[in-house]
Amino acid sequence: MIYVDKLRKEFKKTVKDPGLKGSIKSLFRPKSEKIIAVRDISFDVAEGEILGFIGPNGAGKSTVIKMLTGILTPTSGSCTINGKNPTQNRKAYVKEIGVVFGQRTQLWWDLPLRETYGVLKEIYEVPDDRYKKRMAFLNEVLELDDFISSPVRTLSLGQRMRADIAASLLHSPKVLFLDEPTIGLDVVVKDNIRKAIEHINEQEKTTVILTTHDLADIEQLSKRIVMIDKGSKVFDGTIAELKSKYGQIRELYFESDCKNPEQTLAYDKRFSLGGDDLSVETEGNSVKVRFNSSIVPVSDMLSYTLGKINISDISVKDADIEEIIRRLYGQGVE
Amino acid sequence: MMKRRLRTYLPFVNAGIQEVATYRVNWIFFMLGNALACFVSYFIWAAVYGSGGGGAINGFTLPQMIVYIVLMFLTGTIIASDGAYVVGEEIRDGTIAMRLIKPVSYNATFLFQELGNKLPTEIAIAAPMIITVEIIRTVLSGSLQFNALSLLLYILSCVLAYLINFYFNICFGFIAFVIKYLWGANMMKNVVIGFLSGTVIPLSFLPGVMEKVFLLLPFASLNYTPVMIYMGKYGGAELWYYLALQVFWALFFFALSKLLWKVSVKRLTVQGG
Repeated sequence: MIYVDKLRKEFKKTVKDPGLKGSIKSLFRPKSEKIIAVRDISFDVAEGEILGFIGPNGAGKSTVIKMLTGILTPTSGSCTINGKNPTQNRKAYVKEIGVVFGQRTQLWWDLPLRETYGVLKEIYEVPDDRYKKRMAFLNEVLELDDFISSPVRTLSLGQRMRADIAASLLHSPKVLFLDEPTIGLDVVVKDNIRKAIEHINEQEKTTVILTTHDLADIEQLSKRIVMIDKGSKVFDGTIAELKSKYGQIRELYFESDCKNPEQTLAYDKRFSLGGDDLSVETEGNSVKVRFNSSIVPVSDMLSYTLGKINISDISVKDADIEEIIRRLYGQGVE
Repeated sequence: MMKRRLRTYLPFVNAGIQEVATYRVNWIFFMLGNALACFVSYFIWAAVYGSGGGGAINGFTLPQMIVYIVLMFLTGTIIASDGAYVVGEEIRDGTIAMRLIKPVSYNATFLFQELGNKLPTEIAIAAPMIITVEIIRTVLSGSLQFNALSLLLYILSCVLAYLINFYFNICFGFIAFVIKYLWGANMMKNVVIGFLSGTVIPLSFLPGVMEKVFLLLPFASLNYTPVMIYMGKYGGAELWYYLALQVFWALFFFALSKLLWKVSVKRLTVQGG
């Protein structure tokens, strides 16, 4: 469905020395430096798959999406989607895809929402009966009825995002690109949008590529993630794989009447743990210990803790994906 | 094929009209501003003719000059195009990306949207202005001067002038691909065109060689040609020559805009997110 091969994008950026002096200098002799936003990234996506695309700010996620949607022309490498090259025949290509950029809107700012759909209907040549059915379906999934007659500029962010997603789906695209579709939304709206995406993916086998900073999006929607950092791909696999590969972190919770559990237990000395491999948080009676289970087995940790102090309640958890990714973003991947 | 295309782009006209309707008050102020500039122009020329003894200057009598000013104002409004500004802004803030993800021609969506923006203006001012011009001409010359053929040719010439202006502005807007922000360049362009298109003074006031060169430039095809046609200053072969020149410039900038688009879209960087 989607084949991306050694995709690369370089930008020229003018650099300026700091301050007024630097500004004047760059006025006469502008210096530019080459920035590699995306470094030879390759991956494939199967039909009907939801791929989560993650990475820290500035990693190059949006640049990849913009190349895949035909907005930017790659410096080198190629991508083939639906058997088409996005930059070679833009008009034919974009007919088969839907795109949502969470930070921009494709809706007509000054017009009632309904009018945008009317314009899109003609642009994508959707026949009347199909259009009616489609609007009914989108309305059911995304609940547009409440605000479909309001001018777009008066919509709330959550409404606008739902409307934008509906606009990208009006022509039943085979591939849907979502660039941060839940940015700035509250928990309930986020959840509705995720459900809608899931529903459409199941019903129509739409292939979805999604970038986000909210890892709950990824956990709920996609089985597979591609992580990029500084323009390069650092991980490609399922969430389970990510957890087993990097997720040796476990969380131990317990409640104890011990006065100063952190000092009494002194995990760092007992197991010689440090740095990213150990963190202890105490709040009243409850204690949360994060530790690397590849260095200290869970059983050792438990028996040591239980033997040392008096404990009323105890549990061990897998670290959540957010924790893993925080560690990955922080130190890069070896 | 043609019909299908029209169906794709007609909604843009419709949307354009509705956009203008949203900002009615802005539109009214804009028109008032233009009318004011027209009056200022009138008083300046009245003073010039007053001190010159009242005869014709370079073939223009004062009544003709008044008609010229009013027609310049009308033509300028009819053929106005925001293209350079809008394209420049879209490139500057990255909204251009949202047009690129739709299966439509970038230039054509602008053209039809702007036609929609302009249609209400055109309808609202054209008829009253033409009637005003005819009343002025009748009163000042003592006999009815209206010529239906001139009006038809004037309309045709205005359509051509608008197409030239539109595609010229689109081309100009694409400069933003290189320099990112167009405000300064736009100001300069407007001043230069004001002079070269005869809006400030009729081109026939200029020294011979200068006039001949300016008449060949695309800018004379913008405001000057339609106005001269309406005033009946061009006749016979001359008339067809200037219309053909307009067609040439319209095609030239249309082709140039296509070419520039092909070259520059590859340089697009999409600023901001």
